[in-house]
Amino acid sequence: MANYFNSIPLREQLAQLGKCEFMDLSEFTDGVNYLLGKKLVIIGCGAQGLNQGLNLRDSGLDVSYALRETAISEQRQSWKNATENGFKVGTPEELIPAADVVLNLTPDKQHSRVVAATVPLMKQDSCLAYSHGFNIVEEGMQVREDITVIMVAPKCPGTEVREEYKRGFGVPTLIAVHEDNDPRGEGLAIAKAYAAGTGGHKAGVLMSSFIAEVKSDLMGEQTILCGMLQSGSLLCFDKMVEQGVEPGYAAKLVQIGWETITEALKHGGITNMMDRLSNPAKIRAWELSEEMKDILRPLYHKHMDDIMAGDFSSGMMADWDDDDAKLLGWRKETGETAFEKAQNTDQDIPEQEYFDHGILMVAMVKAGVELAYETMTSAGIKAESAYYESLHETPLIANTIARKKLYEMNRIISDTAEYGCYLYNHACLPMLADFMTGIDTDVIGRGMKLDNDGVDNQRLIEANAAIRSHPVETIGETLRGYMSAMKKID
Amino acid sequence: MNGPLYSIEFKGACIRFNDSFSLLDIDWTLEQGEVWAIVGASESGKSALAAALAGAGEISSGTLTGVDSNAVCVSLESQAALIERERLRDDSDITNEVCEGTPVREMLDEVSLDPVLLTQLIDLFRLGPLLERGFRKLSTGETRKVLLTRALSCKPSMLIIDGPFEGLDANTVPLINGVLQQVSHHIPMVLVVNRFDELPEFVTHIALLEKGRLKVTAKTSDQQAMDLLSQLFHLKTSDIKIPAAIAAEAPPTLNNDEPLVRLRDASIRYTDNLVFEHLDWQIEPAQHWQLTGPNGSGKTCLLNLITGDHPQCYSNDVFVCGYQRGNGESIWDIKQHIGYLSSELQWAYRVSISCKNVIISGFYDSIGLYTKATGLQQEVAEKWLQLLGMQNRAGQPFDQCSYGDQRLLLIARAMVKHPHLLILDEPCFGLDDMNRQLVLALIEKICAGSETTIIYVNHHAQDQIAGIEHYLSLDN
Repeated sequence: MANYFNSIPLREQLAQLGKCEFMDLSEFTDGVNYLLGKKLVIIGCGAQGLNQGLNLRDSGLDVSYALRETAISEQRQSWKNATENGFKVGTPEELIPAADVVLNLTPDKQHSRVVAATVPLMKQDSCLAYSHGFNIVEEGMQVREDITVIMVAPKCPGTEVREEYKRGFGVPTLIAVHEDNDPRGEGLAIAKAYAAGTGGHKAGVLMSSFIAEVKSDLMGEQTILCGMLQSGSLLCFDKMVEQGVEPGYAAKLVQIGWETITEALKHGGITNMMDRLSNPAKIRAWELSEEMKDILRPLYHKHMDDIMAGDFSSGMMADWDDDDAKLLGWRKETGETAFEKAQNTDQDIPEQEYFDHGILMVAMVKAGVELAYETMTSAGIKAESAYYESLHETPLIANTIARKKLYEMNRIISDTAEYGCYLYNHACLPMLADFMTGIDTDVIGRGMKLDNDGVDNQRLIEANAAIRSHPVETIGETLRGYMSAMKKID
Repeated sequence: MNGPLYSIEFKGACIRFNDSFSLLDIDWTLEQGEVWAIVGASESGKSALAAALAGAGEISSGTLTGVDSNAVCVSLESQAALIERERLRDDSDITNEVCEGTPVREMLDEVSLDPVLLTQLIDLFRLGPLLERGFRKLSTGETRKVLLTRALSCKPSMLIIDGPFEGLDANTVPLINGVLQQVSHHIPMVLVVNRFDELPEFVTHIALLEKGRLKVTAKTSDQQAMDLLSQLFHLKTSDIKIPAAIAAEAPPTLNNDEPLVRLRDASIRYTDNLVFEHLDWQIEPAQHWQLTGPNGSGKTCLLNLITGDHPQCYSNDVFVCGYQRGNGESIWDIKQHIGYLSSELQWAYRVSISCKNVIISGFYDSIGLYTKATGLQQEVAEKWLQLLGMQNRAGQPFDQCSYGDQRLLLIARAMVKHPHLLILDEPCFGLDDMNRQLVLALIEKICAGSETTIIYVNHHAQDQIAGIEHYLSLDN
């Protein structure tokens, strides 16, 4: 199999990369009707598989799970997940031949094997759905011509997909139809009904392409989302301890800090996150982020270039073939860092203190989000995609760190994200080494403690203008508006 | 400690009155430094309790100590009695002479024990110009002042005033209020108050009566308790009915020949745990049920089979509100017929939203509000807020409300669309006594004012709801 993206002409590459439009709610008035009465069979009963299945069934669809013979006979976790939730479970041989839609919700790494084994069992003119396009785009999987290939990718972890559905809402969702596999022209109708079945249509659906999804997703997850938070955690913690901040406090400030400051990001973008700081702290954070952006820009470019060229995926797939030697080694290293081992203090840290004592962390989030966004859009990815894959997902990843530090983040994210995160981390730490020597506890750990909060008017105007006029803020306001128009009615 | 020395103690006292009304199981202690106000709905027995402090009624069980025969009770009843006496004295029918009735001065002199004090009181209440007037010719407010003057000038051991501000105009209230405050420093005083907003500031304690029982006592210095009490008082006494459903948005009608719920041979099992099995349950329209069972017996699981929140509803034979589950219906088709409250819901309801929108979210069965509410929905939600005594808090963030207020709002949310089935899973769970009273008062309002069938789960025998006649008990 060859890299699909590299096999198509530049004209096509650009067209696909630039595909991303926000769909109006009125396009979903038919709800799940297109799939009512059809048989949906899900392969994979992990967090995405189980929770999407629960939503689809609660929307009135017929859902069952195809599990491997051994998973059933040994009553593995996936079997328990499916049966305890009252689903019909069978082997692929039993269920796939009758399926109208097969939902491949296994981890990326298994896609080649799973799809190769599944497609021959699928009936004529059925549909294969992905939640992530890596297998099609990077591995170049070619699916039988009569089969429709679509993607429905909720932009949140599986548990959140379920929680939001139960609330009566959904999570933003990206859908795509693989143009090489849409023989009857029904791909879009199936994808829309599927998205409606997960509740995604209520929170906003982006019509995109397999290629745009894969390239932007890879870029976001390995740079700002996981990479920056991992590197930032280690740098900030080590700096505080080096400067005599109590390690329990430092660990908590970092672990819970990402979640707290990115909660502000979620509500009102970088502007609001920065507005949580005092004026002098805001100006300082802005300066720090500008400095870091200059240092790290080449790294973001390299990640984007490697992703576009296919070098990232070929490197990672080589590691898959080497039994994940690099990945597992890096995972072990992460587990042994001082931050990961530190015991958090029981001391209560007030919400505002996470901002006041975490000015550097705020600057890191700002630098990472803006760089990832700038790099993606300059590579031809649409603003909407770039926003979702950078700013929008940062709070979600921060939330996993708040649960169990970097261990939990790396456990929850995909293998592709974890692998990319380590690549980023190894490059980022030495690049920021010099910068970090100039950092003191006024921006990380203890706060600025100024006698007065006075600032120069011109400097403040300059900082505010730079923060607010960044393109990620413009698109962010629009996209959050789609969600909030419904969500925030007060 | 300041204030006059006194001590009255009710211990499990049941007190019968000749109109067959009884006070039941009163445990109550009044002591030096305390000025009590008794509040309650009409028929709650607050006037009876006031009268008992003056020695009225017959103690059928328990004890009551410290009551002094020299206590005086000023009430509408005592006022009526005097007016009746005047009517009897009026013999103008016989003499054919206009009878002015007993002059005020005489009315006062007949009871006064202290002429100096009486003069002071006459000055204080500005009764001078009225002294020669016939008692019956006085206005309501003037009568009230005379009664108070009578009561005070006879140097009572305790002064009980039932409705101290009844019939007084706005100018007179502060005057009487000031006098009573003065008096409260020297004479033990208990007031019976009909409106919470006319509680004098010198009152130190509140006793809330309901159906002859003392429900709650609170110190007025405890602001939180006072807020709750005021809300509770409002719920118990206001005539506001629960707001009607919006006809145009009512859930689709159901076939009345079918049961609301039918479970056949239901079971919930996990790989290594059987919660229950072989359970049959049929709920007909208008059959109210109470569900009991120890922790872990599967009450919530069972209810979730009905609401559709338990995933094994698809692997069971479940019929709910017209749908045999697992035939292409969506969970929202089910939920439109059901109102639901549980502490799990309260914990899950963690979204940034206003109190009013919490109620409106009941129209959509959502946690949070994701659709623009209609004008009618807004109106209905506002009526609910009024019923809850929370009309000033429509815009307040839900997460800033007390636990108990959140519970009230969620009950309103469950009921706002007048569902066919209302499921209340331990509605009093985790609530203190006062909040429990509030929640129960609200549920009673709901029961009285709707056609909804109720399933009620609770642990506490005292948290009964009237009108439930069917019981299902799960055991381990």
